Amino acid sequence: MFELNKTLTWQGFLLLWSQIREFLSTLGNIGCDFSSVLVHILKLKINFREVIEQSKRFAFDSLPISLTIVGMTASIIAMQLAPELAKQGGADYTGMLSALVMVRELAVVMSGFAIISMVGSSFASEIASMSVTEQINAMRVLKVDPVAYLIVPRFLAGVIFMPVVFILSAFFGLVCAGLVSHTCADLSLLNYVTSMWHGLYVRDIFIAMLKSSFFGGTIALISCSCGYATRGGAKEVGLATTKAVVWSFLAIAMWDFIFAAVFYL
Amino acid sequence: MSLEIKNLVKTFDNKKILNDISFKVENGQTLGVIGFSGSGKSTLLKIIAGILYEDSGEIIYPKNSEIAMAFQYSALFDFLNVYDNIAFPLVERKEFRGKYTQDEISQIVSEKLKMVGLEGIEEKYPSELSGGMQKRVGFARAIVTNPNIILYDEPTAGLDPVTSTMIEDYIVHLKKELNASCIVVTHQLSTIKRAVDNVIMLYQGNIVFSGSVQELLYGNNPYANQFVSASIHGPMNIATR
Repeated sequence: MFELNKTLTWQGFLLLWSQIREFLSTLGNIGCDFSSVLVHILKLKINFREVIEQSKRFAFDSLPISLTIVGMTASIIAMQLAPELAKQGGADYTGMLSALVMVRELAVVMSGFAIISMVGSSFASEIASMSVTEQINAMRVLKVDPVAYLIVPRFLAGVIFMPVVFILSAFFGLVCAGLVSHTCADLSLLNYVTSMWHGLYVRDIFIAMLKSSFFGGTIALISCSCGYATRGGAKEVGLATTKAVVWSFLAIAMWDFIFAAVFYL
Repeated sequence: MSLEIKNLVKTFDNKKILNDISFKVENGQTLGVIGFSGSGKSTLLKIIAGILYEDSGEIIYPKNSEIAMAFQYSALFDFLNVYDNIAFPLVERKEFRGKYTQDEISQIVSEKLKMVGLEGIEEKYPSELSGGMQKRVGFARAIVTNPNIILYDEPTAGLDPVTSTMIEDYIVHLKKELNASCIVVTHQLSTIKRAVDNVIMLYQGNIVFSGSVQELLYGNNPYANQFVSASIHGPMNIATR
């Protein structure tokens, strides 16, 4: 019995150790790729044609789902908030609260989730497939730098276009919240817009844009890095995609916490 | 252009994959590299191509040499069509960027496709091509920069005998056209017979045979004899593969 427990403990320890090693190795890969991307950007080794190509994917591919998720969430919140506020005599605050929630938190996080599911997963699986089918090796033999061709443009597309997706999503979310408030709580649209105007701060918008830029860069970097480090076959491509999605979610939560602590604490 | 490998050593996870390998490929010659799966053939090719780094040893070739590699499964970029695949190095490689006009690139691509017997497929994507066609497009992409040294990794793997013969003919044809030195990693005796001048055989990271095709086929090296006769009995232990 004692021997069995000892074996099980040892196996548990080995499993934990392998998980820790895997975590550190992924973190290391992301760190190395980030430094490599930074060096490329600082040396202006940027393939602008690819940046434009990836930006199209980043902005357009994720926009429908991003608008849908943010619009739906904003509507649900307005549906629950507006009647309650109206009952308490605070209907005039609906627009302001919606604007605060939408700009500071909801639009940027929800559009981040949309980007992870639509673009991040596609970056990871695409690059992982290229890696396991030796397309990245082929690039190296053809003397085309894979980091410059694959990772740098995607990273820049994320940094530049995530704020665009955020702005559009936030605007759409506020419009949806206004329409739902009008329908559910009989709040006049003029009141909603006036109240919303009071809740919109330029500082908040800039912080949210900066945050979304961090989100975009992080999602692109993690997704590309997880794909790039993939070796093996179809199973590993799937695992890399899952890892990219999980790590991106965690990274977004972490950045969100850091931004809240730094700017609003 | 000649290529010389001196005392090449490569280790993975404390296992020596290549153990002090040395050989030379003379200008315009084709060297065949044979051996069991896992004997280090592809690793050798990847080190020469610059995909992997050696632990120690030297790879000596003239400074202005251009090395190209045709991959086992072609490794065509599946998001690009045939034209863009072949034009890729001309468009994306730093030293070629802006060097060629669109018309010139188009002309070069057509010329290379003609060299591998494929014309009029520029708009097709790799997934629309047969295995043999993908290999030939891979060849066309490899030779688009007019290399002096061409590396072929299992060029006939997974192909039917007739297509294999055609591929072997193209290996010979391209070598003549480009006056290149070639290294062909293969398991196929037919490829050795048709497309290769000299052969080395790897076993457990060591060269166990080096000589001409005739010596491989009709000599008395026990390793070569076991490989040629496809026998499970001989100095090479199947269990260690």
